[in-house]
Amino acid sequence: MKAPPVLTVEGVRKSFGGVVAVNAVSLALERGRIYGLIGPNGSGKTTLFNCITGVERPDAGRIVLNGEHIDGMPPYRIAQRGVGRTFQVIRVFPELTALENLLVVTRGSAAAAEARALELLRFVKLERLRGEYAGNLSYGQQKLVEFVRMLMRDPSLVLLDEPAAGVNRTLLNDLLDAVKDLRDHGKTILLVEHDMKVVMGLCETVFVLDHGEKIAEGPPGLIQSDERVIEAYFGR
Amino acid sequence: MVAGAAAAVYPLVGTGYGVRALLQMFMWIALAGSWNLISGLTGYVSFGHVAFFGAGAYTTAILVTDAGWPWLPGALAGGVAACLLALLIGYPCLRLKGPYFAIAMLGLNEVLRALVSYFEGLTGGGSGLSLPTLQATERVYYVMGATAAAVTLVTYLIVTSRFGLRLMTIREDEVAAEAMGIDTFRHKLYAFLLSAAGPGIVGGLAARDQGYIEPISVFPLVTTITMIVMVLFGGKGTVWGPVLGAIVLFVAQELVWARFPYYHQLLFGAIIVAVVLLMPRGVLGVLQQKYRLPRTI
Amino acid sequence: MVAQVVVSGILSGALYAMVALGLALIFGVMRVINVAHGPLLMLGAYATYFLYSMTGVNPYLTLPVTMALLFVLGMLLERTLIYRVVDAPELSSLLLTFGISIALVNIAQLLFTSDLRAVEYLTGSWLVGPVALSKSRVVAFVVASALTAGAFLFLRSTKLGKAIRATSQSREVAMVCGIDVGRIHLITFGLAAALAAAGGTLISVIVAIQPEMGQIWTFKSFLVIVLGGAGNYPGALLGGMLLGLIEQLASLVLTTQLSEAVAYVLLVLVLLIRPTGLLGGRQV
Repeated sequence: MKAPPVLTVEGVRKSFGGVVAVNAVSLALERGRIYGLIGPNGSGKTTLFNCITGVERPDAGRIVLNGEHIDGMPPYRIAQRGVGRTFQVIRVFPELTALENLLVVTRGSAAAAEARALELLRFVKLERLRGEYAGNLSYGQQKLVEFVRMLMRDPSLVLLDEPAAGVNRTLLNDLLDAVKDLRDHGKTILLVEHDMKVVMGLCETVFVLDHGEKIAEGPPGLIQSDERVIEAYFGR
Repeated sequence: MVAGAAAAVYPLVGTGYGVRALLQMFMWIALAGSWNLISGLTGYVSFGHVAFFGAGAYTTAILVTDAGWPWLPGALAGGVAACLLALLIGYPCLRLKGPYFAIAMLGLNEVLRALVSYFEGLTGGGSGLSLPTLQATERVYYVMGATAAAVTLVTYLIVTSRFGLRLMTIREDEVAAEAMGIDTFRHKLYAFLLSAAGPGIVGGLAARDQGYIEPISVFPLVTTITMIVMVLFGGKGTVWGPVLGAIVLFVAQELVWARFPYYHQLLFGAIIVAVVLLMPRGVLGVLQQKYRLPRTI
Repeated sequence: MVAQVVVSGILSGALYAMVALGLALIFGVMRVINVAHGPLLMLGAYATYFLYSMTGVNPYLTLPVTMALLFVLGMLLERTLIYRVVDAPELSSLLLTFGISIALVNIAQLLFTSDLRAVEYLTGSWLVGPVALSKSRVVAFVVASALTAGAFLFLRSTKLGKAIRATSQSREVAMVCGIDVGRIHLITFGLAAALAAAGGTLISVIVAIQPEMGQIWTFKSFLVIVLGGAGNYPGALLGGMLLGLIEQLASLVLTTQLSEAVAYVLLVLVLLIRPTGLLGGRQV
């Protein structure tokens, strides 16, 4: 018997003023897979992300995480339920050190937190910079810190907002390997990305949004040749 | 350590004026340090913080005159009352985003002053309240000093804890903090409550010492302004910054500006402008950055 | 009785709206929270007072002069101080304008003393049925409405006005379109100061003038913006009217002092329940 999906989004709608950003979008994420969310600019990807993470409250529809309704929940509670996310524009805490950026996320035993934080920093080879203020790190290093910070709570659902943005090839490959590693450990990943090579190479299933609606869903190969997708990107 | 010992011994050797002056300075250290707890650490600027000072003053005064409480428990009760006020105000207002919270706090002063005048029977309204005279300036001195030390100690403990780190993330990036599972509202509220206790107690002590309070004397905007200037100058978000700011500005105030009372607010305004533009981290903040000093400075 | 209250509310509403519009522009265009808005109004009132006592000319005729004076002062402040915090976190602009506001108030106290002044020009009321209309308030209403309408026309139809609106919506896009954003900021701040000055002029005929008169206006202007929605300029009109009406209604039931507390509670309530304002606008 198939395991229930980790996340289901049912008929979610969100408007701002008169503009409908997300229009009755539904999707389901199975455990242990990597999904991509693509679409032209303004198609509603970030808004959908924000609805899932609680930054925005959907006007209609439901969002269910591991059997629990999370639509309408405040962001911190959703994060505590096992959703981790990174941001399009890096949001590390600049005046905290790399280590503190990670420590600040968990509660409970300080020793355990520090051990885990150091382990994660070691994973991305940033251990020697643990005492450095995050604001002083390079772009790529900040990106990695943000990435492992998100992992501190061991989330079951990982949302990545344009992880490839502004990152050089080597670092990108390291990141992608890390993502695959997460998937192998049973995590579910949804990423928003513009870099098609990344999406096609990494994602098992791709959702395509256009003007707030889901216009296609399927494996990357099929999506690439889907007429509606091509139309959406290259105009009507 | 040395300073502490010196301060403890001073009343035995110092003049009456000196003791009073130090008493005032301790008061400002406690006030500035408390303001720093909310505004310096979380970045949520409290423009109406003197409200807690006044609330403490009135609570103590009423308890002492009407209920015959001794002054020390009265002052502590003032602290509790201030915390309750902070809970009442903080609960709705801290849900607002930073700038809106500041705006909401701006009006707080006026409202409290109006309320005090309205409940005349209890508070004596515009004519104020008189307390029975107290020949215990020295004892007040010690308690004031203890409060100042307590506030500084609490700040140190917070800054070195994960709770303090989480408060700072609110200042750095509240959205990211929430995304990391931090309940920012609850953290802000705790910080706000903690920041009200000091002014509440100190207000009660000041009321006791002055012997007379009226709405204008305990809810003056200039008290909030002074708190803000002291912390901004010394270094907001640091442990000793408010202490430094309090001492420097208090001494400067006594020496120089007492002679030019009418320029007081102008100078403070100018200092705020200068600090925000030129030295937004304050003296200690700048030193911290330049010499890579630990955050506990 | 009710009619009187409603009319009074509407009369003050236009004034609130006009002053708040300036504040809304500064926030919308520059993302700066101008705590010094009230003191600017106060300076406008004093300017009118001195012009009147020196020349005896009808204060409503010297309005353009007052507005021009504060327009220049506004631009001066922007060019020397404000421009430096436009890109900084909003906290910085808050503290900076706070510092400026207390400095301005103190300067006024030094220059003008705290003695109450008044512009005794138009006293008395017209009686229209059961309602007494204070003459100075009616004129204030007319002038404020005219100026606000003029401001909207300016924003809607002129090239400069449209540039201001564009910058308010998106600074990046405005820059790409070739708009000199720095100049827009300069003019916006001056314009807002001029509107505040107009408010000061009109008020100077109605109430007594003293250096601290502006503080409550800053707060009320914020309230108006919150009611109408940040970034929603027409909303400021509605917000102003609403505030005027609510205030007058409250004063029926409560003492004047408590009615100020009402304004405060209202602000907190609206911010909690509908932070985007009653008409919807940008959330801060």
